[in-house]
Amino acid sequence: MADVIQMNYMLIPVIYRFGINLGFGDKTVKEICTETKVDLNFFLQLVNTYHDKDYFPKEELQSIPSKDIVTYLKMTHSSYLNEKLPEIEVLIEELQHAETEDEKYILLIRNFYEGYKNELTEHIMHEEEVVFPYVLTVEEICKIGVVSDKNREIYESFSILRYQDAHDDVEEKLMDLKTIMIKYLTPPLNTNLYHKIIQLLFMLEQDLSYHARIEDKVLLPKMIAMEKMITEMN
Amino acid sequence: MNNITIVVAEASYLIQKGLDAVLKKLGDNQVVQKVDKAEGLIESLNTLKPNILILNPDLFDFNIELLRKECDKLEACKLVIISNDDDAKLKYSADAFLHYNDEQTKILSCLEALKDELITKDKNGKSEEPISAREKNILKHIALGLTNKEIADKLFISIHTVVTHRKNITQKLGIKSVSGLTVYAILNNLIAMDEVK
Repeated sequence: MADVIQMNYMLIPVIYRFGINLGFGDKTVKEICTETKVDLNFFLQLVNTYHDKDYFPKEELQSIPSKDIVTYLKMTHSSYLNEKLPEIEVLIEELQHAETEDEKYILLIRNFYEGYKNELTEHIMHEEEVVFPYVLTVEEICKIGVVSDKNREIYESFSILRYQDAHDDVEEKLMDLKTIMIKYLTPPLNTNLYHKIIQLLFMLEQDLSYHARIEDKVLLPKMIAMEKMITEMN
Repeated sequence: MNNITIVVAEASYLIQKGLDAVLKKLGDNQVVQKVDKAEGLIESLNTLKPNILILNPDLFDFNIELLRKECDKLEACKLVIISNDDDAKLKYSADAFLHYNDEQTKILSCLEALKDELITKDKNGKSEEPISAREKNILKHIALGLTNKEIADKLFISIHTVVTHRKNITQKLGIKSVSGLTVYAILNNLIAMDEVK
């Protein structure tokens, strides 16, 4: 497990979301998964998808229950909402207090970030309130083989195809914020803080793109397959 | 453009390897994919967006024109035909031709020329002045929250023109979202902060 982290430090928050803490000595991935009751198969698939952007899970790995994936994604969401986003916000506020002459520009950044944050939050809420329940319903239908009235309502209210390109807009804004800070803004006096914010934005972007990859490469193909199954069932 | 990306589509393993070795001498380039059959080539062109495609037409006899069109669609993608057919130049339209019997110097100078073309083209795309006066004016209206239609009506131009300007502005500045463009406009005093809703 230590090797995994040495190879890609961006995985630290990922394993933490699984409830795995650092300080595991020389234990193997398998040992730790057994200890923390994490599905080894799912863990491996996830880590590989994070680490290698061309990795495409083989069909047998598609067997992981959507429930586990959704649980994981929800944990990721809460870490964005409760940790990452507020962390950057606090730093931007700090920057604003530290400056006097450039205050106006910092305010611009702050407003822009605020807008971004709201958009991301909205996107996450949409996933939690619409997409995830849909995913779970579809899985249930596939499992029991009949569409109950309650499930039918949810099933017919949404289709995974509508979900596919929802990620782009949110990513765009984050990219713009970075571009503006790098290319067009004269850095304020407190460069240290300013740089730190930019670095955090980069890390957030990377983490989000990993996150999106799980949704697009693991959850999405699974859903498409299950939707097809249900259509054939009817 | 520091790094030229190349896709090689050639059925013969030996020729592929040989090309690879020659291309290494060109410097600053990267063979991003080698393909030995026709299937999937167009898809990989679309995802990899290479600068140069070196292609053996035997692979594609039936739809080489289609491929030509794909190359044109991609920005800055040159098509190079490689074959042992002496009449290749007469049969196909491409940016350059290589023959199996060509010497190394000839191959290199041919590719160097393409590379230079690509680089000048790239430079022309980015002017010193980030955006033109006309674009600034459009940007100002975008930042004020006007839609394409509203901008078109106000400036007496077609929506199509507005869309083109928008595309150019976005490309030059590297900013896509309206709120990002608004921030840029304020930073460059195109509009005042209190003008924004």
